[in-house]
Amino acid sequence: MSDFVMEAKNVFKSYMIKGEKKEGTKVVEAVKDVSLQIRKGDIKLIFGPSGSGKSTFLRCMDMLDIPDKGEIWLGDQCLTKPGVNLNKARARIGFVFQHIYLFRHLSVLGNVELALRQVLKLPKEEARKHAMAALEEVKVTDCVNKYPAQLSGGQAQRVGIARAIARQPDIILLDEPTSALDPELTGEVIDTLRDLAHEGTTMLIISHEMPFAQEVAEEMIFYDEGRIIETGPPSLFFNAPNTDRAKQFMTRIINRTTR
Amino acid sequence: MVFDWQQVIFLLEGVPLTLSISIISFLIGIAIGIPLAFTRVYESEISFAVDAYEKVFRGFPEIVLMLLLYFGLGPFFPIPFNNPFFVACFVLGLRSGANQSQIFRGAIRGVGDEQMIAGISVGFSKWRAIWHIMIPQVFTFSTPGLGSEYALLVKDSAYVFILALLDVTRRADQIRIHTNDFVTWYILAAIIYIALTFPIAFYLDKWGNKRKKKIGL
Repeated sequence: MSDFVMEAKNVFKSYMIKGEKKEGTKVVEAVKDVSLQIRKGDIKLIFGPSGSGKSTFLRCMDMLDIPDKGEIWLGDQCLTKPGVNLNKARARIGFVFQHIYLFRHLSVLGNVELALRQVLKLPKEEARKHAMAALEEVKVTDCVNKYPAQLSGGQAQRVGIARAIARQPDIILLDEPTSALDPELTGEVIDTLRDLAHEGTTMLIISHEMPFAQEVAEEMIFYDEGRIIETGPPSLFFNAPNTDRAKQFMTRIINRTTR
Repeated sequence: MVFDWQQVIFLLEGVPLTLSISIISFLIGIAIGIPLAFTRVYESEISFAVDAYEKVFRGFPEIVLMLLLYFGLGPFFPIPFNNPFFVACFVLGLRSGANQSQIFRGAIRGVGDEQMIAGISVGFSKWRAIWHIMIPQVFTFSTPGLGSEYALLVKDSAYVFILALLDVTRRADQIRIHTNDFVTWYILAAIIYIALTFPIAFYLDKWGNKRKKKIGL
């Protein structure tokens, strides 16, 4: 058995941004030689400037973007090897999107149930039971028959989290789960994540919610220009980061949150 | 002029044929259009074949193909091409498939790639995500286009006139021969066609709008 729930080994990923003219086409190296290990129960938090490639890296972890080079491991399985059943692997990984992406044509319950019924092939009652448990966990049991369009942003994102946790994945990857929400609604999503953290859920989160990070993260990862610049416990970053770049960034972020 | 109700009934008896040709070719069109549209969007290696199909079937009058299949191939392959009803549905269905492929392609872009990515992230394969997540939304998105495509088929079903099928148009023409009335029966036929196209197109549009509101599009 592998020690790690998930592991990234020397992952590279670049993509093209097409300009209007041929000369305008740019190659963005979003992930450059990134390695990361996550043990069961770990909560790791990635932060860094926007456009630095954090999201691309997280999508690589779920193989939503296929890395150009390097390996992604889920337990004992190497996902970057050709011929691996990625759909089965993704069923074991929960993914929460910044812009939520609930299935618009399905009710809240339908959103959470769909993968349980159609991917895990659970019988109807059992799927319902797991879905309701997940919705209870995120505290949206009062609107299970509503459609995504009728939810507040905070409710919607909590349903997004329920959709990710309902199939009891090995790990949940969260891509800035609160940054598309009003500050007022951020709190309820953070509360949900805090509950999950206290239950020992394994999570890799991209977030800039610093108080939350300080409270739950075992390790913070400062990511910039496609690379991991510095890693360490929250105390390191909040007191004295080693690199100038991290120092600079932390100063800016802390000033913003306390202003 | 003496208004002969028996003639009216004779004319109306063409409605089931006209309707069944339009509905069957509409369904054939969906069965062709949906896979073509998704192939075009998600399988870039063979999307040129979809393009070619669309260009060919939108590029010539379907009556030419009807004549070719019925008179050209019919004698050699009596099953199925000696059957004018089959030939009509088949040809209109092929043409409609090309149109519907374009309608659905627009709808797929409207639904957005994010829905697809979310589907894949919960463990669906590409084609199963298309089935469970994209297709239900694509239909909602394409109701206006589908409504006018259906209306087009009802009207184009009149081409079967040339294959000697007794649809509304051919019946109107036969009554004209008997009664020597060159106006009334054609006008009546036109009214029947409007009655066949309008309600369904209207209902589809209404249903689509209601559904769009519900899912917030």
